[in-house]
Amino acid sequence: MKISLEWLSDFVSWDDEPAALAVRLTAAGLNVEGIEEIRRTFPGVVVARVLEREKHPDADRLSLCKVDDGTGSPVQVVCGAPNVRAGITVLFARVGAELPGDFRIKKSKIRGVESCGMICSAAELELGLEGSGIVELETDLPNGTPADELYGFQDTVFEVEVTPNRPDWLSHVGVAREVAAIYGTKMSLPPIWNAVQGGESLGVKVRVEDYADCGRYTAWGAQRVKIGPSPRWMQNRLRAIGARPINNVVDITNYVLFELGQPLHAFDRGQLAGSAITVRRAPEKTSVVTLDGQTREIEAGTLLICDEKGPVALAGVMGLGNSEVTAQTTEILLESAFFNPSHVRRASRRMGLISESSYRFERGADWDMVERAALRALQLLQEHTGARIVPDWADRHDPDHRPADPLRLRVWQVNRVLGTAVTTDQVAQILQRLGLKVQPMGNAESISASAVNMMVHVPTHRRDLSLEVDLIEEIARIHGLDQLTGRGGYRIPGGAVKRPRDVARDRLRGWLSACGYAEIVTSSFMEAGDHDHLGLPADDPRRRTLAVVNPRHGGDTQMRTLLAPSALVVSRRNLNAGSTPPLRFFQINRVFRTDLPLGRELRQADEVLLPAEPEYLQLVVAGWRETGLGGVPADLLEMRGAVESLSAFLRVPLTLEPGTDEVWLDDGAAWRVRDAAGRVVGLAGRVAPGVLAAFDVDAPVALAEIRLDDLDLTPAPARFEAFIRFPAVKRDLSLLVPAAVSFGQVRDTVAEAGGPLLESSELFDIYRGKGVPEGRAAYGIRLKFRSAKGSLKGETVDAAIGTILAALRDRWAIEPRG
Amino acid sequence: MQEMIDRLRSEALAAIHAADGEPALEAVRVAVLGRKGSLTGLLRGLKDLEGDAKRDAGAALNALKDELTAALDARLLAFSGARPVTAHAYDLTLPGRAPAPLGSRHPLLTVLEGICDIFYGMGFSRDDGPEVELDYYNFTALNFPDDHPARDIQDTFYFNEKVLLRTQTSPVQVRMMEQREPPLACIFPGRVYRNENADASHSSEFFQIEGLVVDRAVSMADLKDTVDTFVRNFFGAEAPTRFRPHYFPFTEPSVEVDMQCVACGGSGCGVCKQTGWLEIMGAGMVHPNVFRAAGYPDDRYTGFAFGMGIDRIAMLKYGISDIRLLYENDLRFLNQFRGVQ
Repeated sequence: MKISLEWLSDFVSWDDEPAALAVRLTAAGLNVEGIEEIRRTFPGVVVARVLEREKHPDADRLSLCKVDDGTGSPVQVVCGAPNVRAGITVLFARVGAELPGDFRIKKSKIRGVESCGMICSAAELELGLEGSGIVELETDLPNGTPADELYGFQDTVFEVEVTPNRPDWLSHVGVAREVAAIYGTKMSLPPIWNAVQGGESLGVKVRVEDYADCGRYTAWGAQRVKIGPSPRWMQNRLRAIGARPINNVVDITNYVLFELGQPLHAFDRGQLAGSAITVRRAPEKTSVVTLDGQTREIEAGTLLICDEKGPVALAGVMGLGNSEVTAQTTEILLESAFFNPSHVRRASRRMGLISESSYRFERGADWDMVERAALRALQLLQEHTGARIVPDWADRHDPDHRPADPLRLRVWQVNRVLGTAVTTDQVAQILQRLGLKVQPMGNAESISASAVNMMVHVPTHRRDLSLEVDLIEEIARIHGLDQLTGRGGYRIPGGAVKRPRDVARDRLRGWLSACGYAEIVTSSFMEAGDHDHLGLPADDPRRRTLAVVNPRHGGDTQMRTLLAPSALVVSRRNLNAGSTPPLRFFQINRVFRTDLPLGRELRQADEVLLPAEPEYLQLVVAGWRETGLGGVPADLLEMRGAVESLSAFLRVPLTLEPGTDEVWLDDGAAWRVRDAAGRVVGLAGRVAPGVLAAFDVDAPVALAEIRLDDLDLTPAPARFEAFIRFPAVKRDLSLLVPAAVSFGQVRDTVAEAGGPLLESSELFDIYRGKGVPEGRAAYGIRLKFRSAKGSLKGETVDAAIGTILAALRDRWAIEPRG
Repeated sequence: MQEMIDRLRSEALAAIHAADGEPALEAVRVAVLGRKGSLTGLLRGLKDLEGDAKRDAGAALNALKDELTAALDARLLAFSGARPVTAHAYDLTLPGRAPAPLGSRHPLLTVLEGICDIFYGMGFSRDDGPEVELDYYNFTALNFPDDHPARDIQDTFYFNEKVLLRTQTSPVQVRMMEQREPPLACIFPGRVYRNENADASHSSEFFQIEGLVVDRAVSMADLKDTVDTFVRNFFGAEAPTRFRPHYFPFTEPSVEVDMQCVACGGSGCGVCKQTGWLEIMGAGMVHPNVFRAAGYPDDRYTGFAFGMGIDRIAMLKYGISDIRLLYENDLRFLNQFRGVQ
């Protein structure tokens, strides 16, 4: 919203520079976002009359003119405009004049003929008027009159941010009220038409079908209207705030809208059928042409203004082309009404049509301004269109409409909410400055929770004030928020409770980053093709996504049901950017699953409509092509190791079991992760080559995912156990293991056969090749024995090893090497 | 000639070795390499030789000069306590091997946790709520009437009439109050969504942190105190703050909180668009209708709430000019946030 200070000064005065006023308004809640200086002057440009016009001797399209610019002697000038002719009054730029765009007029020769100045077009002066060619002025202007007297204009314009609760600030008078309150001065309203009693009747009957849709509808008449341009001061003001002048009638309705905040609509009375105006809802879907020339579908139920043939306006939004004011209009029916805010809002939303009118009506018009705005418009119509105002008007309003109840105000509550110590007098003064009527109550000086100190009557333009606390905000604004001083920090009773889950999550993030993983934050949306790229079966519940119904143009719509796609997208991006593999990432993020139980108590029945939002930890290693122990890919070994370390770090038992239920993982290179109860709480493995190709990732990607909600992140504290101080005995075994036997089987057998003396076993080497028989691998395993009873004797250890070797031989045909 | 050179070499090296201090070493240097030194004398004698003999002797003498100079320098270093590099058995300038490569924490979440830590210190607890939320919690219970322009402030992603992506962390306020009786002081960090096109300062997904304090007589002055304490702790400076009246449906009175620009100290710069102030949060006193939606009796409690955008604060803190960098997950960006932040 733009506010012209020149316009504003019609209603209020203030003793401050514009910048200082802007600061005061901003501090009061009307945020001034920009200040624009308008300085329009035309030095050296004057009114002149064309005395003679003849063809240029050397150019068909040019004219040679003599003009009288008020200096007494005619001036010769060459003009190129087709509409130049003797007798017209023009704007003439003398030699030495400065035109917009740093264009200086000099004496010159045009095709051999001397030209001493220039006859100006609207465009050359940047007047923003309609039409081409030179400007033709009224003939009664004296020659030599400076153009500045006609078009010169200086103004300062504020761009203000008006919050939805303050529709009253969407007008100059509304802002003037605020300025008056801030500076403690008076403000005045613009003049209105002094209704003349008796005389002709309007001849139009108004009927409102439902006052719930339209609380008040007034119609007014103006006859013998002469359509033409509006006065220049009005055009200047409209232009200053960014509106385009059209003609006197349309400009007047717009002017009143920006001045008083009340939208008006002028119908061409001659185009209205019959003598009845009805405000009613559209019974069915229909199609209309609005003032802007657009054909629009309107839904059944849309509020319409109708003549005896059909709709002539979309109530509160825009008029229709069929009753538009044109150059031929001579009689006007002026509408000023109060429409239901939410009704206008719905209609405007549905049609995607937001007008200055709908913007104000949906925020709430001012009931009392309905009549005053019409009277102001009539006064302007009478003055600037030569109209004769019909002294009679139609006014239909809700008979049950009552003014708002006065509000009770307790000074005790003011100070309780604000933390201030203001007095009853101060409060009353502030409210009165804002134009509110204050009615003191008996116990004005008593300050307590139950003592109502005053009743406050709220004017119709402040319908946002409906509760005691709304008044408290007004007091805070005007009293000054910079006056608030605390009592040294509010102390929270009870103090902080840091949730163990938050602590664990934060430590986890620190630990993973120290392990080389870079934390990523990925979008909650997934791309439309992601499910197919992953190859999820048709009945996979994760295909049942929630989809946004009103996405941005081109934006993703589906909420993600798994994190895998984001890992692949981030891997691709960084591999393509040339980062050196292996690339490591982690994220802790939510997915959105409609197929899982919500897992919390429902407070609202509708909560069954919400998805579960399980939180996952995901680790990613991308682009690592090396292999490790036993020829297993290094990224796979790292994922296994990471899950094992995670288990140790969180002190939550997790086990990895070869195999996967995920089609997008490489079947032979993946694990299920199970918790102590055997539930699957995660996965680890390599992404299947086909899926990598579908996501355009040209390198291996391994990942691990753990559903954090499934883990108990508050494990019991560690309990100390006395450790054995007797020395351990270490023995290395070299075993020839058949290819069909896995390390896991070897490990389990060793542990079982080793008995209580075996403290640990550790694989340190796998060797295939020279010296090892075909189909076998040599495993180097280090065993550690220890006893709580004393130092172990060699024979005891030998016996234990014998048992282990026997078990390995019996069960797996494993022989010691060499 | 060669004999003389060999003899000079062994004598000089012995003398260098035998020198027991810097003065003695200097004497050796003068005796051998000085203007009247023995080696200098031999070099002068070269002019009497010719052809191959001259060339060979010249090369040998120069090599000897280099050798003796190095020996003198090495001996000198020994006296001064330092040891020549070659005295080590290993090349200790080779690159080290890190215990593990260094990863990074995302700057957004670092800032989020940093903010939480400050509020923990002030006695706040932490909670969170769903991102896919009911219209009821995101709007209705927060005193956004149906069909009201206040809803236009935030462009919303809808799934259907009743379900949407939360546009703010404020719905968690209501969920918290439904479950607990005051006094309460809580923060709610999390991801929020707006249906708008991305540019350098807008993202359709971003992070907020919400704060809520409710008690028998919490006031706007307490809010001001809390905000000041936060700013002082987070920005580490005595940056003044100011309240500007504003409008949020769920608070009354509502304010926007500005802090003096940390980049210029209030004199005006590009960061604060020449205003000297940076908007850091919206705040206000909890609206009675919100208490009512939460089921609290009228008039029993007062409370304040505040909400701030974490992205903007992270951008300010780290000098990040484009919000989209936070969500691209490019390692060239992420790697800049390694280590202690």
